[in-house]
Amino acid sequence: MAEGGGVSTVSENVPSYEHIDVNSTPFHIGTFRNLWLGMLHPETYSYSQTSPETEDLRFISDMGIAPETLAELKSVCSTDSLRSHPEHEPPDTEAVPPEPQLATLKLRKRRQDYKKSLIRDSMGRHDVYANEMELLAIGRRPEDSKDLIPEGELILSFNVVYPVLFERFKHVRAYQTLHVLGSQKLTELRDAICCVSDLQVFGEFSNTPDTAPQFLSKDHYKSAFFFFEGTFFNDLRFSECRDISKTTREWAKTHDFPDFKTARMEDTTFYDLKVKVGYPYLYCHQGDCEHVIILTDVRLMHRDDCLDRKFYPLLTHKHRVATRKCCVCHLYISRWITTNDALAPVDPCLYCDQCFRMFHYDDHGNKLGDFKAYVYIDPGAFN
Amino acid sequence: MEYFKRTLNTDCENILGRFQATASVRFEVFSAIWREINFSSIFYGPMEPNKCRVFTRLVLSVAAPYLLPPYAFQIRVGGLYLLYGLYSSQLTTPKEKVRLALKDWDELMRFQQDAVDAQHYDVVFILRKLLHERAFHFTAMPNPVKRRQVERQGQQLCETFIDRPSRAQELISTDMLEELANVHEHYENLKRVISAQTDQPILSLVKQNLVPKLRGAVLTYYNWQRNQTVTFFPPQSSRRAQLLALIKSKSYGQAVEHCASLIFKNKFNV
Repeated sequence: MAEGGGVSTVSENVPSYEHIDVNSTPFHIGTFRNLWLGMLHPETYSYSQTSPETEDLRFISDMGIAPETLAELKSVCSTDSLRSHPEHEPPDTEAVPPEPQLATLKLRKRRQDYKKSLIRDSMGRHDVYANEMELLAIGRRPEDSKDLIPEGELILSFNVVYPVLFERFKHVRAYQTLHVLGSQKLTELRDAICCVSDLQVFGEFSNTPDTAPQFLSKDHYKSAFFFFEGTFFNDLRFSECRDISKTTREWAKTHDFPDFKTARMEDTTFYDLKVKVGYPYLYCHQGDCEHVIILTDVRLMHRDDCLDRKFYPLLTHKHRVATRKCCVCHLYISRWITTNDALAPVDPCLYCDQCFRMFHYDDHGNKLGDFKAYVYIDPGAFN
Repeated sequence: MEYFKRTLNTDCENILGRFQATASVRFEVFSAIWREINFSSIFYGPMEPNKCRVFTRLVLSVAAPYLLPPYAFQIRVGGLYLLYGLYSSQLTTPKEKVRLALKDWDELMRFQQDAVDAQHYDVVFILRKLLHERAFHFTAMPNPVKRRQVERQGQQLCETFIDRPSRAQELISTDMLEELANVHEHYENLKRVISAQTDQPILSLVKQNLVPKLRGAVLTYYNWQRNQTVTFFPPQSSRRAQLLALIKSKSYGQAVEHCASLIFKNKFNV
């Protein structure tokens, strides 16, 4: 064979299942991309379309057939030959046809009939939101041609699972899905992951409620790491960042684990990674907020994808959680939590920003009564 | 959505089974079956837009494996037509794409070459049309993989669709070889008689050592196939078929020796 000696390194980077339908063997993302690009004709992944005439001529010359044969082929293979209904009478696609033959349709009919029997026959809000979120990005072209993503770029989909902080997350695997480009840095993914623990504010603010936003955790504790295939990728962009994986590595050393490597998150692009698809990895920030992240899909860019670089990392799925409302107005999402509060019906008690200020301060901003106030960040803040 | 998987499998196997029964690889045959079942209606029915997209993705992912080995050539052609039909009759815009993994690309190109060699122009035309319409997503894995708590059952391969690797050995059985050796001998004798009458040696028209040559060809093919199987298939995929092939080849090897000795004996008898 021509490729001779290279076979072993090549086949190493052709992903296959390590466990069927669970995860793949580890492969180098950059090499994987080069393998695809090497095998495909540039036209097969290009955004522009070659004219049908050129394509016809090429087919005729490649197959060595007469133009009449091609015309016949075209008429035989046209999609019209798959239509069961007359051309000018399109069927009602919103309803399952009566007396379906296909097993799937029988099941669909059963579900349709069941749905009709329900009292509430409206679309779920979550489905509407999910659809809107997907539609936002599909087929989007950049306004500025500088932002156009080059052809043959890879898209990686990451599922970022929320940590089990709440009882109600224990049974549902809540996650958000982010699409990143292969040429992006790991830090860009890190900045796109939204988690409430980044927004926590430590301290008691009953005397100076206006200063609270200056104490956001993400501005104070900037260290974070990704863990992929035995390597800790630390975020060391800022001077106050520390290598928070050190504790783990030192512990591992004393417990007879293989040596872990470290690298810098800001110097690594996804092309440099060697990972398994479908295998759980870790993202850790704020010291101990640990998210399992799973790479679910790697594929070449398609012209129907969002082609605007500014939109990546692109959020395509988000788990929605119920929010806790203010105990006064029952309308807005809570922003404050108070304890030792003589005015409150329960202890602790949740308030929205407006109710909290109207209730606990006079017109000049002076504190009324004795209580302690902390900032409350609702888990549903990102809905 | 996963609950549709089983019924979708049934439907795909149904249409491919009917296509297999026609013993044809022509698109007009397939499209006639498609029209008769009204397969496009699989997408009909009320569904939320994003569910509809998920459903379409599922339909394509169920149909896609029929395009690849271990299915026989005819089924793979049927799988291609099925994907083409499903892709073009889906109701979502933009259209959902068929996922194609890196490891399967070579197989697809080999399939295309086979179709070109056999001059099945409709197969090549449709494959190129799909590629031209950018109907494929070039991916790492055939399906997106996510960890699930639910146990998933692996997709059952439809046995009748699978390309039987031991087909050549089945054709050249022990009885058949003996029969062939006898016929061949008879034929040679007849030729000899004729050539004795006409004074012209036309025995050279007859293939010498037909039976050993045939046996050699089948054995070479079997060995090649075994190497292929080892490199391309996961070992558990067609273990039963391999076992059968092995048993057959063993019995076959003995039979051939037997036949060879028969010929040897015949030679001396002449």
